[in-house]
Amino acid sequence: MNNVMLKSKDVTLLEILDRVLEKGVVISGDVVISVADVDLVYLGLKVLLSSVETMERLRGAPFAGAGEEPT
Amino acid sequence: MEVPARDLIYLYCITKSKPHCDELPKTGIKTYSIYAQGIYAIVSKVSSGKFSEENLKKKIIDMSWVERNVRQHESVVEAIMEKTTVVPFKFASVFKTDKNVEKFLKEHNAEFKRTIADLKDAEEWGLKIYCNPGKLKALLEEENEMIRGKAREIVSAGKGKAYFLKKKRDEFIKNMLNEKISEYTQDSFERSKGMSLRAKINKILPKEVTEKKEDMVLNSVFLVNKKRITGFNGVLVNLKAKYFDKGLSFDCSGPWPPYNFCSICSNEGKHE
Repeated sequence: MNNVMLKSKDVTLLEILDRVLEKGVVISGDVVISVADVDLVYLGLKVLLSSVETMERLRGAPFAGAGEEPT
Repeated sequence: MEVPARDLIYLYCITKSKPHCDELPKTGIKTYSIYAQGIYAIVSKVSSGKFSEENLKKKIIDMSWVERNVRQHESVVEAIMEKTTVVPFKFASVFKTDKNVEKFLKEHNAEFKRTIADLKDAEEWGLKIYCNPGKLKALLEEENEMIRGKAREIVSAGKGKAYFLKKKRDEFIKNMLNEKISEYTQDSFERSKGMSLRAKINKILPKEVTEKKEDMVLNSVFLVNKKRITGFNGVLVNLKAKYFDKGLSFDCSGPWPPYNFCSICSNEGKHE
């Protein structure tokens, strides 16, 4: 119980997908593959995500509409 | 340097100091760097067959293909991150030529330099909190005087009234459960944020995705100064102990490349 930290090499695919597919710098312009197409990779998960968001809204999410905190 | 038409340039991340590109034995990927105006892009050549729009559309439904390639992307960025500050890119950021990458570096030069400066000496850490609602509910039923009072009323009421009272009590417990979860997650987020440079809340992920028995109740990320990692860890250890018997479990992961704190193309940070 002394250490709750985990190393990233041990983390699940979920943790990686949550970042590598969802976040990171998005480029546009003279790029062969548009990011919109790449988003399809995550389509299966996205459908699930949106249904959960709806659920959260209905029961009153703890941080409704919270994005990045102002610094 | 011109590349043959069938090669595409896959961009992993951008750095300010010259990266150790050839030394990525763990990843098995041959990367090189493209330099322009004080910044480097870490790239590798990929075949247009693999990363063409058409092929990507076919491959994205194949989770084992996605996993292999996403992990590869991550391992390259992590290898570079060991030595220097990185601005990580999203999966499958692909250019036609080296020249185009160079042009891209020049066009967004100031933004990248500013982002690199912002991220210096900082690490991204993720905190996901899960809740076992049954455990928390049992605790509330045991400890909350109002709920216990309602239970007594139900016992002494007639059959019809008891049914009605039970429904009211269940509704009351459900609301209280949500209130408590909000209170606990907010407290956890605020305390962790107190040790961080920046903090963000991401979407709650469903069980189908998390493959956990418990519900995810907070999905948050923090940008933490490397010197304050011990303090940040200390806060998490305290939170974990504080909320253990309330049915909450804490899943912390890191250090990550700062995927959540580098979006140069969104509105965020544009006019900071």
